[in-house]
Amino acid sequence: MKKKLVSLLLSTALACTALAGCGGGSSSSAASSAPAEASGSAGASAASEASAAPSEAPAASEASSAPAEASGAAEASGDGYTIVVMPKLVSIPYFTMTGEGAVKAGEDLGINVIYNGPTTADAAEQVTMLEDYITQGVDAICVAPNDPAAMTSVLTKAKEAGIVVLDWDTQADPNLVDASIHNIDDKAFGEHMMQELVASMGTEEGQWAIVTGGLSAENLNLWIKYAKEYAEANYPNLELVADPFPTDESQDLAYSTTQDLLKTYPDLKGILGMSTPTGPGCGLAIQDLGLQDQVSLVANAMEDDVQSVLADGSLDCGCLWDCHDLGYLTVCVANAILNGQKIESGATIEGWDTPLEVLDEKSVILGPAADYRAK
Amino acid sequence: MQKVWKNLTKSKEISILAIIVVLAVCITIVNPNFLTVSNFFDIMRSNSIYGIMALGMLPVLISGGIDLSVSSTITLCAVVMGKFLQANPGSNIVVAILLCMVVGALAGLVNGLLVTKFHIPPIVATLGTQTIVMAAVLFYTNGMWISGMPDWFLSFGDIQFGAIPSAGKVVGMPIQILFLILVGIATWLILKYTLMGRGIYAVGGNVQSATRVGYNVSRVTTFVYIYSGTLAGLAAVTDILIVKQIDPNTFSGCELDVIAIAVLGGASVMGGIGTVFGTFLGIILMAVIKNGLVLVRVSSYWQKVVMGIIILVTISVDVINRRIEKARLVHVDVEE
Repeated sequence: MKKKLVSLLLSTALACTALAGCGGGSSSSAASSAPAEASGSAGASAASEASAAPSEAPAASEASSAPAEASGAAEASGDGYTIVVMPKLVSIPYFTMTGEGAVKAGEDLGINVIYNGPTTADAAEQVTMLEDYITQGVDAICVAPNDPAAMTSVLTKAKEAGIVVLDWDTQADPNLVDASIHNIDDKAFGEHMMQELVASMGTEEGQWAIVTGGLSAENLNLWIKYAKEYAEANYPNLELVADPFPTDESQDLAYSTTQDLLKTYPDLKGILGMSTPTGPGCGLAIQDLGLQDQVSLVANAMEDDVQSVLADGSLDCGCLWDCHDLGYLTVCVANAILNGQKIESGATIEGWDTPLEVLDEKSVILGPAADYRAK
Repeated sequence: MQKVWKNLTKSKEISILAIIVVLAVCITIVNPNFLTVSNFFDIMRSNSIYGIMALGMLPVLISGGIDLSVSSTITLCAVVMGKFLQANPGSNIVVAILLCMVVGALAGLVNGLLVTKFHIPPIVATLGTQTIVMAAVLFYTNGMWISGMPDWFLSFGDIQFGAIPSAGKVVGMPIQILFLILVGIATWLILKYTLMGRGIYAVGGNVQSATRVGYNVSRVTTFVYIYSGTLAGLAAVTDILIVKQIDPNTFSGCELDVIAIAVLGGASVMGGIGTVFGTFLGIILMAVIKNGLVLVRVSSYWQKVVMGIIILVTISVDVINRRIEKARLVHVDVEE
């Protein structure tokens, strides 16, 4: 009797797994997500994956890649190019949105877009998956590398196979790529956030602090560097109270760190939040302490996640680029290169309305920051 | 023999308490804001999530097992509840809490069965369920945050008890801390006054003796995993009551922090040892370290280094204490 019960449980579990697999399959095209700022969480998830490796990890990754391969094969039977767009990892909101953009671009342009990546921000797994796609034979590969150096050999292999190679979100080896899609001009973005902060504070003097996703995330550090330089040069009376506070890409930690911060520095006038969990996390701390009017917050955020803190002024301004457009532009540029078009400033390409902004011959800039404010 | 064991745990807890006091004094000297009721409530409120999970981990550790799946269980419960509340905004808080705890208990039951019926080592079984559940939840949610919880639910999280003047404001004890205290009392009662509780210590101390004395080892083992899962479910409610939305990625890897709290509080990963009082000290120590490092303005780049040093010191003080205790015992024995 007990054995029967156990086998019943097991078969139920199997059925559930199968169902979950199908669910993943149908939505696999949309699956994925965290931006450049993922580099912080990247570390965390890579670590957790390492610990998970012995038993289930291979199964999980197989499950994740299987549906995408299936859909890829199905799409490949149609006409037009096949373009692989690979995020750092799937299953975080940012890369889910970029994926939706990439897939939409594929539909609009009438080409096949495969949007797939590892379930954790793992460079080795990206390499394995890319090798599979090279063997399978695709026309273009657009990758957001977890570790640019680790990509070099597989991208060289892709080039030798005549595949067009692009990077997006985060740069790969510039010598290997045909084009590089940048979310934003890092310098302009850091300075923009600083300007927004001072504008919300309404004063050019007082204390301010930085809360960041992680101290090792290169893009976040760049924005911080440019924001600090801009503040030093333009607002000499602003006082940065301490080094940036890291929050492990976690909203919970951003929340409790901000609470501590506001107690430690009661005269704090402004907080700059780098990386998307800081928007809702820091905002909630300000909201709970009732400091909406005393403390200004300008932070990265996904628009849907910050409606409640935007509404009462806890978050004064959310800054990010348009994630959907990032995926969309990546596919459009890949398509243009495949059609033999030259990527240069001022060029117009199919599917993208505005003329391109190109730096250093290869770097296509998505556009200015998208700001969210209370509606 | 039992007296000796009691003395040991006593000295262990006293050394943790001493470290907390020393830290608190140092931090207060640098920043008087630390020793205020409102700060204490704030830090215990955000750490109550980890505290509740650590209290669930405690019986598992005492029984000689380990539960790595608390991170996936809390995520699963949070997502299930988020989706449930979105679909049924007219529900009530009792249903929401019960739902979370039942889902957590079921997840724990699966772990318990894997360990007892299939004889899979706990570390492997719970690692497996953790990976499967986490992956399934991420497939289902695509990592997208769930927000838009009903107002009655969110306002429940703002309930405070009492009114204590502190730092120019009047603060009450947040409901999340009440959860933590209730869970602490329940765990203490179970461990101290029930047959099951004595069984947990017995199984962790020596499985064979426990079997011979007549404890049903399978039942005890299954119970501790169900208990851990149930509390992870309650921790999910507590978390949503604080942050008001659900990020399916936020808890990945949190099982290590949870185990660290229990071990800091004197539980042994070898089984047989651990108390609720010690775990509470572990929670407070962890909370004080995290909060204090910001308050004394330690540079972010050094915070983790300092944290590691404090953990090492705490554990070494305990080890040294034990060694002294042991040496003293031997000496007494010889004299007798």
